[in-house]
Amino acid sequence: MATNSDGARNTKYVTMISGDGFEFVVLREACLLSPTIKGMLRGSFSEAKTGRCVFPEITGPVLEKVVEYLYYYHKNVNVPYVPDMEIPVELCLVLLEAADYFQLDKQMT
Amino acid sequence: MASRANRIRPIRRPIMNREVSEFEPCWDLLRDALVDIHTKNAGRLSFEQLYRASYKIVLRKKGELLYERVKGFEEDWFRQHIMPSIAGLVTNNIVNMTLLQHAGTSASERRQTGERFLRGIRDAWEDHNMSMNMVADILMYLDRSYTVESKRPSIFAATIGLFRDHILRDTVPSVAEQLQRDFMVFDILNTVIVDLINMERDGDIVDRNLIRKITSMLEDLYETDEEIENQKLYLRVFEPCYLEASRQYYRNECEKLLREADASTWLRHAQQRLKEEQDRCGTTISILTVNKVAGVVEDKLVKARLSDFLAMEGSGLKVMIDNDRLEDLAILYQLLSRVDGTMAPLKHALQGRVMDLGLVIEKTVRNMDFSVNGAGSGQADADEAADGIDKSKIQPLTAAAQQTAAAIKWVDEVLQLKDKFDNFWSNCFNKDLVLQSAVTKSFSDFINAFNRSSEYVSLFIDDNIKRGAKVKTDAEIDVVLDKAIVLLRYLSDRDLFERYYQKHLARRLLHNKSEIDTEKDMVSRMKSEMGNHFTIKFEGMFKDMELSRDLGENYRDHIRQLGDVDTKKVDLGIHVLTTNNWPPEVMGRGDGGRVDCIYPPAIKRLQDSFFKFYLKDRSGRVLTWVSSAGSADIKCTFPKIAGKESGPLSKERRYELNVPTYGMIILMLFNDIDEDESLSFGEIQGKTSIPPLDLVRVLASLSIAPKAKVLLKHPASKSVKPTDKFSYNTQFVSKTIKIKAPTISSINKVEGDEERKETEKKNDETRAHIVDAAIVRIMKQRKTLSHTKLTTEVITQLQARFKPDVSLIKRRVEELLYREYLERVDGEPATYQYMA
Repeated sequence: MATNSDGARNTKYVTMISGDGFEFVVLREACLLSPTIKGMLRGSFSEAKTGRCVFPEITGPVLEKVVEYLYYYHKNVNVPYVPDMEIPVELCLVLLEAADYFQLDKQMT
Repeated sequence: MASRANRIRPIRRPIMNREVSEFEPCWDLLRDALVDIHTKNAGRLSFEQLYRASYKIVLRKKGELLYERVKGFEEDWFRQHIMPSIAGLVTNNIVNMTLLQHAGTSASERRQTGERFLRGIRDAWEDHNMSMNMVADILMYLDRSYTVESKRPSIFAATIGLFRDHILRDTVPSVAEQLQRDFMVFDILNTVIVDLINMERDGDIVDRNLIRKITSMLEDLYETDEEIENQKLYLRVFEPCYLEASRQYYRNECEKLLREADASTWLRHAQQRLKEEQDRCGTTISILTVNKVAGVVEDKLVKARLSDFLAMEGSGLKVMIDNDRLEDLAILYQLLSRVDGTMAPLKHALQGRVMDLGLVIEKTVRNMDFSVNGAGSGQADADEAADGIDKSKIQPLTAAAQQTAAAIKWVDEVLQLKDKFDNFWSNCFNKDLVLQSAVTKSFSDFINAFNRSSEYVSLFIDDNIKRGAKVKTDAEIDVVLDKAIVLLRYLSDRDLFERYYQKHLARRLLHNKSEIDTEKDMVSRMKSEMGNHFTIKFEGMFKDMELSRDLGENYRDHIRQLGDVDTKKVDLGIHVLTTNNWPPEVMGRGDGGRVDCIYPPAIKRLQDSFFKFYLKDRSGRVLTWVSSAGSADIKCTFPKIAGKESGPLSKERRYELNVPTYGMIILMLFNDIDEDESLSFGEIQGKTSIPPLDLVRVLASLSIAPKAKVLLKHPASKSVKPTDKFSYNTQFVSKTIKIKAPTISSINKVEGDEERKETEKKNDETRAHIVDAAIVRIMKQRKTLSHTKLTTEVITQLQARFKPDVSLIKRRVEELLYREYLERVDGEPATYQYMA
């Protein structure tokens, strides 16, 4: 794989932007849980170069919940007996869809 | 809350509602992206957009179509853009060089051409690999759902495999036509790499990184798109080819070395090659091959002509051993332990060498003339071990002393040989147990093949203990004794050794020739090595000595209390010896009964007095005086010679003369006669009853040797004859006050052939009794036993002491049958029964 010497490549944080313009600055390490984002950031595509990932078809609240989950997982990855994350009922369906998109549905081991 | 719940639909609907017709726009987007990726313009593309495009296609169940489209696109791309450039690499030069094996091109030319070709392949591969990784990333969702569900190879495997199918396994049609035969680019690739590696083996410098890139490419590619782990192209195609080429290379090299070099070079070369190949696997080829290629080198370079190299004149194993080439041997051991765990060639060679060198020692010792100064100089390794002999070489030696020197020489040489092989063993052979036992066995074999080894070992110990006390430090003696024990371990006829040692020890003890501590130390070593029964007699001898000392002191105290005037003249030092512990020679039991000699009255009184004292506490015991083993200190006065006014003869001379007991008896005879009278041999014998042989010896020492010539012999000649007459030598002069009459009997020396036969005969008699006892013991326990089983058991039981002859056992069995300890069992041949 070609190495890209862009400044954004190894920054500690990346920015995730929802379709309706909400921006979330997220720890890169936490983001890499999602294979989708991981693929996005490792190639030589524009996201990898700029460190900005735009998700036009995902709304702010959903992306917020996704980011919350990424942190939740990142923080508790090795902790036994973690309390469940709170998911509002009305977001359930759309979050399932987002999980599929981010390929976060089969990660849990 | 309710308003939020409404938002679920607006997101889902747009995705789901766009119809099938959306495939084409999505694919167009993706196709353009693929072109950009191949042309390295991916930087302007949004991963998210492309991912989303493929995501949507897959969600609409168009995965298969996408899969085919991508594969088709890549194949087209390959055909149009990559294959032509590869075909361009397959130049006439490279074809000549690899497929046709044309000679005549120089190595550097070949290297340049080869490396150019490899570089082309590498560049194409790196581009392809990178692109395919990116493609696989944007099509991640396809792999995740469609490929998994349809059980097809991942899109990455399918596209990366194109490189295998369309480059490596493909041919270049124009060239194939020209050559009139089929070939694959793969063939060229393999040949080029192997050629480059061979150049490196020959000492050229090649681009290792480049080759490593190519081999890691082969490691990344598989036979099929299923990517089964053990089907890497590297393992399936390249490695066999590489190993075959290596085999070829090393076979040739081995033959060349055999023709041109010596074993030492070969060893170092092989070691170097093994290391090189290992390094090469790390830097140039692949770590996967490391053991296999090592196997090839071991097989072709080491094992193939091993025996030829080891047998090489002037540098083979023989020379390595003889010249102590430790490094060579160490390398040899390392190489052999790689190819053959049993070490068979080395083992046999070592054993053979030990045997040969052992026999050489025996032969040199036998042929060496110890009477001439510097006799050992003809031998390569006559060194410090022989210095004991050098010392005694100052004067011409008597025959007996020569023999003894030979014995010591033999032991020294054997010990040196042992040191030599021990040195090999610990420094070169990694203390290998197999080799140790093999060498030990050979040592034992040749030592036991030499029929005087028991006697020689005992003499060696004798010499070192006697001389050692004067010349060497305790630590040195310690080392020597340790070595002696080592030799002892090899001896199988331990009973014979015991007999000799007993004899030698007896002489040392009685004549006070050694430090008692050293003796005890030695015996305790033997005890721990050979067991208690072996040293019982020796310990008994020590005990006798100690008891005798106490007894002597007590007796002197006793006499002092009595105030007996007469005994002041004679001081008695006595050794009371227990018959069984001491060798028969010393005890005078040797040749058919003891001859009691007639003691002078003064001595006789002393004997009686002591005997009385002795029996006071120990009634019922019998003391026998062994006159042949004792000695006496005599104070004698030689009166002034009339008419001599100057010189020593003008004064009265007093000397202390140390003589054997017999000598004392004889000299005391002359006290009773006048100065000018003489006694004939016969008269002396008649008055003393000393056995003629001993008498000759004693008279010789008193009348011939100038040092203690206190008697005059008529006629004066060099030997004593029964017709000679003896008289008092009034003119005797000596520079020292204390004089020791030279005696022959107190020196431990090698036996003459006669004596030796005698010893062996006695030993055989003892053995016969031991065998008898063993047979009876076994039969008593078993009641009935076959001859073969009996023989085996007897041998097992007696092994620690000696190796009984089968014929001896048979004779003893017959004897026991005759004496009705055993009987034959009716109807069963060769089976015996114990008779109670």
